[in-house]
Amino acid sequence: MITLKNIIKTFDGNTVLKNISTVFEQGKTNLIIGRSGSGKTVLLKSTLGLFEVDSGEIWYNERNFTQMNQKERKVLRREVGMVFQGGALFDSISVEGNVRFPLDMFTEMSSAEKQKRVDFCLDHVNIEKQAFKLSPSEISGGMQKRVAIARAIALNPKYLFCDEPNSGLDPETATVIDQLIQTLTKEFQMTTIINTHDMNSVIEIGESVLFISHGQKEWEGTKNEILSSGNQKLEDFIFANKLYAQMKKGK
Amino acid sequence: MGFFFHIGRYFSMLARVFARPEKHKLYIRQLFHEIDNLGVNSVGIVIIISIFIGGIMTIQFAYSMANPLYPVELVGLGTRDTLLLEFSSTMLALIMAGKVGSNITSEIGTMRVTEQIDSLEIMGVNSASYLILPKIIAVVFVFPFLYIISVFFGLLGGMVTGPIAGVISIPDYISGIQWLFYPYYITFSIIKSLFFGFLVASVPAYFGYYVQGGALEVGKASTKAVVNTNILILFFDLILTRLLLT
Repeated sequence: MITLKNIIKTFDGNTVLKNISTVFEQGKTNLIIGRSGSGKTVLLKSTLGLFEVDSGEIWYNERNFTQMNQKERKVLRREVGMVFQGGALFDSISVEGNVRFPLDMFTEMSSAEKQKRVDFCLDHVNIEKQAFKLSPSEISGGMQKRVAIARAIALNPKYLFCDEPNSGLDPETATVIDQLIQTLTKEFQMTTIINTHDMNSVIEIGESVLFISHGQKEWEGTKNEILSSGNQKLEDFIFANKLYAQMKKGK
Repeated sequence: MGFFFHIGRYFSMLARVFARPEKHKLYIRQLFHEIDNLGVNSVGIVIIISIFIGGIMTIQFAYSMANPLYPVELVGLGTRDTLLLEFSSTMLALIMAGKVGSNITSEIGTMRVTEQIDSLEIMGVNSASYLILPKIIAVVFVFPFLYIISVFFGLLGGMVTGPIAGVISIPDYISGIQWLFYPYYITFSIIKSLFFGFLVASVPAYFGYYVQGGALEVGKASTKAVVNTNILILFFDLILTRLLLT
């Protein structure tokens, strides 16, 4: 579980996150939604410590992340997996090299054990054997995202962060990625936080949804409650898509 | 942003670069990769440039020493000392700043803008150390070898070009390059090449590591890195020459 308490973050006098508090629960897919520029990525990166918050507290279960020094944060980050918007796979190494990298860096496993873990992770995200030796540039965008997920779960993390994991993907592949993340979240009982502005993802896997607008928390709930939230800003965001407008009208 | 801001950030980056590595084995593997990528791959261009410059200098020295009062050995001596003292260390470092430096900036800069560096940080890896330390050690390690290769092929270039151009015979040239030889010149230049190697790796790494934006900014950072490295090489050349040679 990750708890945010009164998070404020400013850049050059511009307040990007305004007093955000929420709880991301373990074993659930927690979605942060909002328009582009609403502060989703800043919130995600602040939670990870890639941006220092101006005030507020971030708790990873019983551990106060904001009070930790760099050394303690490094230790905690080994419990964190992250899937970046563009995959952020290392260009210079192969698909399996990418998944092996955290194992090489942080474990004392034997070569055979590492290979077994790499196979397990890549198999879990449905990457076929013949793609293992390819470089990231030789595989499709959807596969890159799946490899990024495999790398993120290699060290068996307690916390999984995904920054727009299905951006740039076709709807079918996007659904596959969403379902994959949800399945892994349940299987490994991770606390998963996903940044997205894709309403299909919300309807598909939004067990817990946080809507932010202009850096402010506007609404919190589940996918079942979202279409009848009564929040004007949220409705403007959702029903900008005509399909959901028609769903609301019951068509 | 001010000059002192960059100086401060450069040294704080170096403090992170020289922090204790997470896993020595991985760093050593990366070091061998960088020696191959940044050093061995540069040998060809070093040889080509050195042969041509050696040949050109021999012809130019022969032209400017075309006086019966000057001993003919001056042509070989001039070519040798120019190669030993300045070309094979300083000029080569300037050329390498263009080749190796821009390579380092664009590689690290691309990793920054594609969030690969963030990815390392989130894993708990000291990205500055993992990415930059092997490059610095590799370049500092290979520069003295490149210097020696450059001197050898520069002298060879002069020996081949002189007789072909009809400006000096091989025995006169060989006699010239052996005349008034001070081994300290080599020590001096190797010390310089160690300094220059450090600059050629660390300054472009700095520009790449802190780049913000996209492909355009990576390109701009590459240009800035090469220009600044060149200025610093010349500045340190002046200081080291004053300290070590006078």
